[in-house]
Amino acid sequence: MSERYKSKVATRGLGRGMRPTGGPIEKPKDGWKTLKRLASYLGREQRMVVVLILVVCVGVAAHVVAPGFQSNAIDAITLGRFDHLPGILGWMITFYGIYGCCMLLQGYITSLLSQKVIQRMRKDLFSRMMRLPISYLDAHSHGDLISRMTNDAENISNVISESLSSLVSGVLTLVGTFAMMTYYSLPLALISCSTVALSLGVISLLTKYMRIYYVKRQVLLGQLNGTVEEYITNIKTVKAYSLEKEVVEQFSTTADHLTRTGIISEAISGSMGPCMNMISNVAFVVVAVFGAYFALEGYITVGVISAFIVYSKQFSRPLNEIAQLYGQIQTAIAGAERIFEVLEEQVEEEDGEVLEGACKGVIEFSHVDFSYVPEKKVISDFSLRVEAGKKIALVGSTGSGKTTIINLLMRFYDADAGSITLDGKEITSLSLKDLRDHIGIVLQDTILFSDTVWNNLSYADATVTKEEMEHAAKISSADHVIAHLSQGYETLLKESGASLSQGERQLLAIGRAFVSKPDILILDEATSSVDTRTEKRIQDAMQELMKNRTSLIIAHRLSTIVDADEIIVMDQGKIVEQGSHASLLAKRGQYYQLYMTQYAGQAI
Amino acid sequence: MFQYVKRYMGYGILAILLMVGEVSADLYQPRMMAVIVNEGILGLGTGNVPNMELVLSMGLRMILVVVLGGISGILCGICSNITAQNFGNDVRKDCFRKVMNLSHSQTDQFTIGSLITRITSDITQVQRLVAQSVRGAVRCMMFFVVGSMALVSMDVAFSKVIMIALPLILMEVLWILYRTTPLFSKLQEKLDGLNTVIQEDIAGARVIKAYIQEDREINRFEEHNKDLAGTQFRVLLYISMMRPVMNIILNLATVAIIWIGGVEVAEGRIAPGTVMAAVTYLSQILNGMMMMALLFQTFSRGMASQKRLMEVLQTESEITDGTLDSMDESEEFREEFRGMANDQVAPLIEFRHVSFSYPQAKEEALHDVNLAIYPGETVAVIGATASGKSTLVQLIPRFYDVTEGEVLVGGRNVKEYSLEQLRTEIAMVLQKSELFSTTIRDNVSMGNRNASEEMIQHVCQVAQALDFIQKQPKGLDTEVAEGGMSLSGGQKQRIAIARALLLQAPILILDDSTSALDFATEKKLQDALQKEYQWTTKLIIAQRIGTVASADRIVVLEGGHVVGMGTHEELLNKCSVYQDIYESQKKKEA
Repeated sequence: MSERYKSKVATRGLGRGMRPTGGPIEKPKDGWKTLKRLASYLGREQRMVVVLILVVCVGVAAHVVAPGFQSNAIDAITLGRFDHLPGILGWMITFYGIYGCCMLLQGYITSLLSQKVIQRMRKDLFSRMMRLPISYLDAHSHGDLISRMTNDAENISNVISESLSSLVSGVLTLVGTFAMMTYYSLPLALISCSTVALSLGVISLLTKYMRIYYVKRQVLLGQLNGTVEEYITNIKTVKAYSLEKEVVEQFSTTADHLTRTGIISEAISGSMGPCMNMISNVAFVVVAVFGAYFALEGYITVGVISAFIVYSKQFSRPLNEIAQLYGQIQTAIAGAERIFEVLEEQVEEEDGEVLEGACKGVIEFSHVDFSYVPEKKVISDFSLRVEAGKKIALVGSTGSGKTTIINLLMRFYDADAGSITLDGKEITSLSLKDLRDHIGIVLQDTILFSDTVWNNLSYADATVTKEEMEHAAKISSADHVIAHLSQGYETLLKESGASLSQGERQLLAIGRAFVSKPDILILDEATSSVDTRTEKRIQDAMQELMKNRTSLIIAHRLSTIVDADEIIVMDQGKIVEQGSHASLLAKRGQYYQLYMTQYAGQAI
Repeated sequence: MFQYVKRYMGYGILAILLMVGEVSADLYQPRMMAVIVNEGILGLGTGNVPNMELVLSMGLRMILVVVLGGISGILCGICSNITAQNFGNDVRKDCFRKVMNLSHSQTDQFTIGSLITRITSDITQVQRLVAQSVRGAVRCMMFFVVGSMALVSMDVAFSKVIMIALPLILMEVLWILYRTTPLFSKLQEKLDGLNTVIQEDIAGARVIKAYIQEDREINRFEEHNKDLAGTQFRVLLYISMMRPVMNIILNLATVAIIWIGGVEVAEGRIAPGTVMAAVTYLSQILNGMMMMALLFQTFSRGMASQKRLMEVLQTESEITDGTLDSMDESEEFREEFRGMANDQVAPLIEFRHVSFSYPQAKEEALHDVNLAIYPGETVAVIGATASGKSTLVQLIPRFYDVTEGEVLVGGRNVKEYSLEQLRTEIAMVLQKSELFSTTIRDNVSMGNRNASEEMIQHVCQVAQALDFIQKQPKGLDTEVAEGGMSLSGGQKQRIAIARALLLQAPILILDDSTSALDFATEKKLQDALQKEYQWTTKLIIAQRIGTVASADRIVVLEGGHVVGMGTHEELLNKCSVYQDIYESQKKKEA
């Protein structure tokens, strides 16, 4: 594979785990704002959070107090006061018991809390996503959106379940331990704390380098996952062109690179533990030396030294933990930021008027302009009136704007200028639900869902009866397809129906539109992969079905459209010809040209 | 899996040795601590007066030991990471290679989505397992064994405590493991489920909106979401129980040690400092156990992933390479037969009594198909949706293998060729044009990297793609967006055709790959193909009579059977299915 090709795919970072925009990945832009919002999610579980904090407080208190009894016990042994021992040990058991129970409860609450929060967050995100305008979905990488829903949400869930209580208890332990230490001996406490400064220095140094390599690794991982996704999805082409070796080679290059970066970043983060361990032991020696000195001077007892040794360990552990969590927390906040970004997107305006009475199906475009990107006008000054119950066909070469007209009518996009009306009402003033309710559409790219065939067909109307369903299947010729499936209507379509051929999928999609019994039917290249005989049958059925209803058809095959009441010939976003098949042929214009080329070479 | 670890055994063993160093330091440290406390602070040897000198010198020695331990700890981390990451990398590469070589029906069975998760997230889990095993297992084992032994050696009475505490902890770990292992596999499945919904709904947003089913989809999502959260909650709950229970057991053990120590001191058998050291050892054992708990958690999750990876690695590709890596059907061979009548030449492609059914399908997709295609011939295949047209052509490059009968290319069974050889002889344009997110040029030249600029321009010209490519902002070097989204269906098809043409293979197969072209463009393409690729054997699947009429021969398929074969005129006379098709497309009189 050429060097260029490799680098192109490699540097783009496709799909999951990698966003197309933005700088280094894991650094949140506005951490506080995001934290506040995250807190509001926690806030909805107020009672749980309050209980959690109480439990953590009690647990930490017990954990801080217990070593005191331990030191008392050791003192008792050292001083030979063995009769005190049972009482002291009783207290020890009590406090350690309380601590254990608190930890159990803490585990339960954080597990529940994290799942509640994350479930709600995912739901919010998904609901928001469903209401985003098509233009947003078209313009953003799907892999990226999916990654927000899964990876980012997962990271937040991890932080809440693993880190939240550690964080709270860590801070509390630090405070509590310090208080206890000062209670026993202020000078020794201050000396212990001086090692904390050392810990902090090492932590900040290590996390700095960790972050650099961590970001690098994330980028490489994103690339690798992108490669995997792209090549496995398009595996047929890879095989057809015998590209397996090259693809594997490319994959290996990225994988090796990732491995090297991974080793470095893990080595750095792995040295955190030993470093902290060293520091905490140095702390011990310091405490021992000064403790011995103080004991020599008679300021403190040996039991106090024992307690201090435990405390100095207790002191370094939460610091160590917080340091380890630091990266995780930052990743989670960055993830939350990405989620909130979507939540702040403008959604479709859904409310509006409702058409009164039955929909007649009069559609009128007047002087409509539209462009997807500002410079490039796709539709310009488009005017068309479709009378109720008529069958209209749109023809024209690829890129002439036919599908865009449908996008505008469905309000997947809104026109830049001009107006579109349905039964005399501006479609922008109608509620989206009402507008789309009247229109049945079969799209160029056939979308099916991983569900049973029945549920796919009854998509628009779950209440459909068996007879209605069978009728719709029959007239859309989907019945043959269904009959071939192992369990008929109950067959589960795997992977969005990937095992079906293009034509079979189209027939099911047409069946789905027929079940919905729309007032206006739109077929956008809906039968391009269906053989012409089947198509003919569908058309005959449509004649019946669409009697007195408006239909709009886009097709390349002229046989599909010759019966239309009116044929609209489009070119570069404009109508160039308009009329019935016969009148357009008689005109000997563009349509005539198209018609002749299609049948040229066919001796009739 | 073990064979993969074996390769990096050297680093692994080094890591273990370094770990022994680190842990030894950790274990030795309490003894020094005991000396510092007993003899230094309590001054047992110096008449109960703290011995400052001893504390200082011991303290310095201890710092030295600790630093050495720390350094070996860091080095151990590096070595264990080298082992784990390289191991993961090897598995990852092997898995990917395997996936690339799976047959289509095997890929279908695994499902694309699941293969992607296996290569991405499952490998990470297994890698983590290895890294933590090398590091953690040794560490906690040593803490465990040496810590316990040190504890016991101080005073045999302490062994009672260990004897009771350890089985309890072991029971706890096993119980949690027993509970969580099945949950982890379930968790992975639920995640797959949720991913499918998201993926589908984003891709199908237009349909959802058109049918106003947003609420339904949100409910469907919420079901999966709840399911996932529920399972995850149960997993987290079990895991969260591990530490506290262990903690309770070990703290009780501490109390017991102090109690026993108290009795022993009272009887004068040990010094008070020993009790303190014993408590420290116990906290080390506790640390080791905690690590083990974490390790088990990674372990059970890693094992679920390991199983999923092994499934891939152990799948033998159904479609195996043949040994033949050249084809008699060379350039000269074709030269020789140019212009000769079919009965004088051996067929280039031949189907002999071929039947095929997809796994788990009720009916045969193809039934007893006999068909010979001669060098230089253009054969068109026409037939209803699901009549087996695509299936037929997919048997030639062995995307699937026949159920019965045989497919021959150049007079030999396709199974005899090496796959690479076979597929370089065939240029195939698929029904669904799959483009990669790179430049148009790279997409076109991916089958033939050595193609010159003129050749690329030429095939684009023949495929009728040059015009629109030149209108793109950067021409051939324009980037194609993810999945080709920035191009229309017809544009994608034309790039895919150009890509196939550049292969310059003797066999060209077009699987309904002009369906999105408008008829004028298609006609131009047909003419150009006929003119420029006259001697290429062409197999064309199409729906339009206009597309197939000019072929040398037309094969009519119906329900997996060949129901007609011949030229357009012949079929019009004798084949009722063809007549029907023709009738449905007949030119309406103006």
